[in-house]
Amino acid sequence: MFTPGSKLFLGLTGFAVAVSVIYVALVDNSMGGAVTLLFIAAGTALLAGLTLFNRDGDVAVGATDAPAGAEQLTASLWPLIATVGFVGIVVGLITHPIVFLLGLIALLAAGVEWLVQSWSEGASSDNAYNASIRGRLLQPIEFPVLALVGLGVVILSFSRVMLAVQREAGAIIFIGAGAVVLLVGTLFALKPNLKKTLVVSVCVISAVGVAASGIAAASNGKRAELVAANAEDHFSHKDCGEEKNAHFDGTAQGTISLRSSVDATVELRDGKLIAHELGIDKATQTITLTKSNNATIIFRNKDNKEARLTAYLGTKAVQTGVVEEVLDCTQMIGKGHEQALTFKIAKPSMASVKPYTLTVPGLEGQSIEIMVP
Amino acid sequence: MSTKIRRITAGISGLAATAFLASCAKNAPQDTWQPKGSNARTIDNLQEPVFAIAGVIGVIVLCVVVYCVIKFRDRGQAMPEQTHGKPALEIGMTILPALILAGVGVFTFRTVFELAKTSDTQMVVNVTGQQWWWEYDYPAQVELGITKPIITSGQMIIPVGTKVLLRETSRDVIHSYWIPALNGKRDAVPGRVQTLRIDADKPGIYAGQCTEFCGLSHANMRMETVALSKEDFAAWVANQLTDAKSPADKTLAKEGEGVFLNQCVRCHQVNGLKKADGTPAIAAPDENVWAGAAPNLTHLMSRNTFAGASWDLLSQKCRADVWGASSETVGKKYLAGVSEACLNQTDLRRWLRNAPAMKPMYSDPTKLTPTNGKYRGMPNLGLTEDDIDKLVAYLSTLK
Amino acid sequence: MAIIEQPVTTGGIALAAPVTPTKAQGGFRRPVSTTGWKSWLFTVDHKKLGIMYGVMAMFFFLLGGIEAVMIRMQLAAPNGKVLSASVYNQMFTMHATTMVFLFVMPMAAAFANYFVPLQIGARDVAFPRMNAFGFWCILGGGIFINLSWFLGGAADGGWFMYAPNSGPIFSPSHGIDFWTLGLQIAGIASLTGAINLIVTVLNMRAPGMSLMKMPVFTWLTLVVQFLLLFAVPVITVALFLLSFQRNFGATFFDVSAGADPLLWQHLFWIFGHPEVYILILPSFGIISEVLPVFAKKPLFGYPFVVFSGAAIGFVGWGVWAHHMFASGLGPVSVAVFSISTMAIAIPTGVKIVNWTLTLWGGKLRFTAAMHFAIGLIVLFTIGGLSGVTHSVAPSDTQQTDTYYIVAHFHYVLFGGAVFGLFSGFYYWWPKMFGKTLNEKLGKVNFWFMVIGMNMTFGPMHILGLQGQPRRMYQWTEARAGEGFFNLAFWNRIASIGSLVLSFGILLFLINVVKTSRSKERAPLDPWDARTLEWMTSSPPKEHNFDVIPTVHHLDEFFHRKYEQDPVTHEYKQIATAEEILADQEAHADKHIHMPSPSYWPIVLAASLPVIMIGVIYSIPVAILGGIFTVLAMFGWALEPSTAPESDFDPPASGESTKELAPLV
Repeated sequence: MFTPGSKLFLGLTGFAVAVSVIYVALVDNSMGGAVTLLFIAAGTALLAGLTLFNRDGDVAVGATDAPAGAEQLTASLWPLIATVGFVGIVVGLITHPIVFLLGLIALLAAGVEWLVQSWSEGASSDNAYNASIRGRLLQPIEFPVLALVGLGVVILSFSRVMLAVQREAGAIIFIGAGAVVLLVGTLFALKPNLKKTLVVSVCVISAVGVAASGIAAASNGKRAELVAANAEDHFSHKDCGEEKNAHFDGTAQGTISLRSSVDATVELRDGKLIAHELGIDKATQTITLTKSNNATIIFRNKDNKEARLTAYLGTKAVQTGVVEEVLDCTQMIGKGHEQALTFKIAKPSMASVKPYTLTVPGLEGQSIEIMVP
Repeated sequence: MSTKIRRITAGISGLAATAFLASCAKNAPQDTWQPKGSNARTIDNLQEPVFAIAGVIGVIVLCVVVYCVIKFRDRGQAMPEQTHGKPALEIGMTILPALILAGVGVFTFRTVFELAKTSDTQMVVNVTGQQWWWEYDYPAQVELGITKPIITSGQMIIPVGTKVLLRETSRDVIHSYWIPALNGKRDAVPGRVQTLRIDADKPGIYAGQCTEFCGLSHANMRMETVALSKEDFAAWVANQLTDAKSPADKTLAKEGEGVFLNQCVRCHQVNGLKKADGTPAIAAPDENVWAGAAPNLTHLMSRNTFAGASWDLLSQKCRADVWGASSETVGKKYLAGVSEACLNQTDLRRWLRNAPAMKPMYSDPTKLTPTNGKYRGMPNLGLTEDDIDKLVAYLSTLK
Repeated sequence: MAIIEQPVTTGGIALAAPVTPTKAQGGFRRPVSTTGWKSWLFTVDHKKLGIMYGVMAMFFFLLGGIEAVMIRMQLAAPNGKVLSASVYNQMFTMHATTMVFLFVMPMAAAFANYFVPLQIGARDVAFPRMNAFGFWCILGGGIFINLSWFLGGAADGGWFMYAPNSGPIFSPSHGIDFWTLGLQIAGIASLTGAINLIVTVLNMRAPGMSLMKMPVFTWLTLVVQFLLLFAVPVITVALFLLSFQRNFGATFFDVSAGADPLLWQHLFWIFGHPEVYILILPSFGIISEVLPVFAKKPLFGYPFVVFSGAAIGFVGWGVWAHHMFASGLGPVSVAVFSISTMAIAIPTGVKIVNWTLTLWGGKLRFTAAMHFAIGLIVLFTIGGLSGVTHSVAPSDTQQTDTYYIVAHFHYVLFGGAVFGLFSGFYYWWPKMFGKTLNEKLGKVNFWFMVIGMNMTFGPMHILGLQGQPRRMYQWTEARAGEGFFNLAFWNRIASIGSLVLSFGILLFLINVVKTSRSKERAPLDPWDARTLEWMTSSPPKEHNFDVIPTVHHLDEFFHRKYEQDPVTHEYKQIATAEEILADQEAHADKHIHMPSPSYWPIVLAASLPVIMIGVIYSIPVAILGGIFTVLAMFGWALEPSTAPESDFDPPASGESTKELAPLV
């Protein structure tokens, strides 16, 4: 029952699997090589399946009544695509790996499709039958791949658009696009006898439109604040020295993950620092934090001057005998802005010679003491 | 429904309610139906009518079903009318429960917001859960005599008649703080700080239990809230603010201090404890335990439980004396702490000998790869009996 | 591998008439056995699959039951020593997982698979191979999850698997990995089953059967399938995130990386609450069939039952956060979810009222099925009302995570879902196997179960209200209170009750064995039933109906048997079931082509656990499993769903063609 072709490929599969086992056992157990070999095994297994299925392409096995030379050749795009793929590979080698990859994919796809098409065209003298066996063989691969590519293009394009436009415009586009999809869907549903070409062309045009705007948006880049946020790395900002960038999220408390876990807010107003602890209404000059647990403090600047909040969190030994102060800082923020500061204190207050404090550099005599029992 | 059925229904409901109440335990420490504070009472005032309504409806349904079963049994009667229902009746039976529930809903709504209020807070305690015990930090609150933060664990002490706000969080997984006599539960979620109101009418010890499954020893994560009169509370605060004193030289306890410095201080802090060179001994639980914290033992003997409030530090007799005391005397008895005579030596020694055998914890040194070698819970320290004698002597000085 | 169909010649063009090959190509032939184990392994028949679902679910019911009894034995006395803390945590996790995912859901799927096509007058479901695939997936998933017992310990995070306790730090064994990946596989069964049954119900109803003439069981099954269709993807996503956190170092629920562990709770309960209705609605459907039959009158307020079922299906999506009242959602969310939870009690109450009024004025026959159905009404009402008490959020903060909740959902799920399923067993057994389960033993079985269930779960109300939390491997005398009726007493009663309950279930098994040994055949229409599934032989032929019936009424079968006298308004019998069947056989369809059995569903399903094993232990194995999966999918896609006759070996002499349904 195994044809010579499938035997060859099955043999290769077995060989690749065996080699991968030996490779892992004897040469290198880091898996990289084995995975490559297993991919080869997968490929040859698939080819074995294909050759087994199509009986080495010898359709005429038993089909003795199919007259030779009665092949019905149909037009084919695959030679063209194969050429494009080949050119892509060459160009890609010179210019950009992505071009190379696309060329490779095109060449591989064209190779498989071309192979199967020419095989199927020799299957019989009946075009419909030939098309059907081609479809039966390739559609199980084509449909998922095309669906994946189609969806991927739409999602990717749409997300590029959403990243490029302003936040408010994004909401409007989202609502608008949703409404249009719903509307068109409703229209199609209400008119089930609509011409197929019309439906298809509407879908194709909108898909092309989305893809085109996606490309346009991607080349235009993300909106400024996202670029800034990316550069800023808001939550890991701990620098107390020179400010490296000027962008920041002006409303830290608006971030949902912070809203429920703010231990205290510290406010700078009229040159004075005051703190409010969660659940207590009155202002205070000392806050108590539990040790060994992340605490989040919000710093609000209500003064005209730019300011930052600095947390003094004790000392640490850098070398034997040399100690260094542990400081955490927010960024410099202007009036009406706020910043979050998250830190963890592992040792109680008594372990530190100087008390743990929150201060604003340049503002003398104002500090909030952090007590850690 | 006829009067007769109504009377039967009423009778059965009454009987069922009595039977239900009679079948309950007396003085169960975690009974949810015996509120001892205003928040729990607010809940109770809401739930009692709801239970009554539910009970009556249940009995009515039961009676109607039983009536049908008896009355419409097949006695060879003719095939019944093939009726498909009476819409008016159906709609009525939809609207009636909707109205009842709408009524319940209004009161529920009000109560939910009432219990979420934080504006009337008189005192704050930071409550932190970790596997498998609770830590209580009292922020400095000068008007309550708390001049600097207090740290304790296992038992939380509050003054009576004071509206206390707990700020709950967790250092590892989700736990839930629950003292049924004082309020419903609130989860302690890592990365969040959540509030829970608590107050107690009378002095007493109120029991609770962690109620969010938190891993291996979830069952052994208990807690107690002790309400003291305002004077007793002040006395408790005054004691907690002091540091531990080193035992006199040449005593067993002094040797115990040495063992403590050698072993226990890796995780457990005792305020005032000094190393041989005179510098303060600072515990480093953050280097040894995954949660980064271990109970502060400065005033161990002022609490009467240990190991996540799962075992008593008081012997059985003494415990019964404190727990059974009236609300007038409980404060004094509690403040007396654990005397030498009252110390539950058996359990404490068992714990020191091999803690994870008593309370399941992740402390097998060979299985600590996922936590980078840190324990979850307390390991078996492999102490000799001699060391244990010394340690017990030292620990009992930590009043 | 499969065979390509013979082409049809298309003639008429100027060219020479194309000649087409006549011989099939390919390596493999289809399975053809109609008897023996192969006929079960490769079947796509919805009835055989239904029975297999049932057998599997029953096995896991016993497994989950043993786990439950072990839990109760541990808790029978203070400081229980039967199980260690670690094993106890695994035990309650797996008890819930097994009962929910591997017993109630597949058992409901068993009934749905078997009876939905019969109730709507169809010959099979819409996608028979997918149906088979679903079964093999859930079986594979179930076995996969339970493999963990032998490979370092089962999942120990509770069936709700709250983050971060389910993370790799806090649960270092592979138990949760097996749990997560096994449920992913089992979830495939729910999704394929849902799509299959929705398409079947919407497209394959017998002529004349409008939606409002559909039996209630089919209706509620349809609602359940929609719930599944939307709920399963949510848990799939959640499990996916958890797998990535555990196996590939992702930080979706890692607090130190800035995650909020409440995300898991929301994801889990958005699935988890509709899941509750997924578990209970099939049983509601079953007793909505049983009650009218044994009351000899139609279901009271059929449209109300149907629409309240659909309403439950909708509102069920808006109540998930009532599982999180103590989680710290903030008062606004708590209040809103509290009210919406109360709202869902209304359609549920409507159902209770309708069932009770179906009994009212009826002619009640107390068969075992009827016992269980009435048991459901009473027990579910208790569970429903205790549910209302903790829809009141402040009250719930006292009750949640205590035994009161355990009592509540066992009344709902055992008193509700399980009693409904047992009612279904007694009611439909003669249809499925041609033999009636022993009625007398059935009633004894009922009373043991009802007493055992109330003894086990009744005291848990008291335990919970008096403060005993759930999921504790030990309880202590110190918190048990005083008096004779203290918590120790009730814990002991509950443990004894679990044994009584187990004995009740054992009686059912004895009944099954006894019945299968008995030679007595069930009459064709033993209960004087009302719906289409009783209009064919018992057990039904492979093609269900000799002729697809045309439906004119709700309760079509009843109306074919009885007619109302226009003058006296009395009902008199105009035909017996035997006569109706004989009439059908006389007018049987001439050519019935049934879907062909296939190797691919079981091959494809078998490749999934290989991937999952690979994810846990070694990625190359997962890649191999993936290759295996792709090949199986390819084979499946190439195989025509209905095989041409030439695909089969010619029948042996004197035998009918194997694949064509034998014409009577």
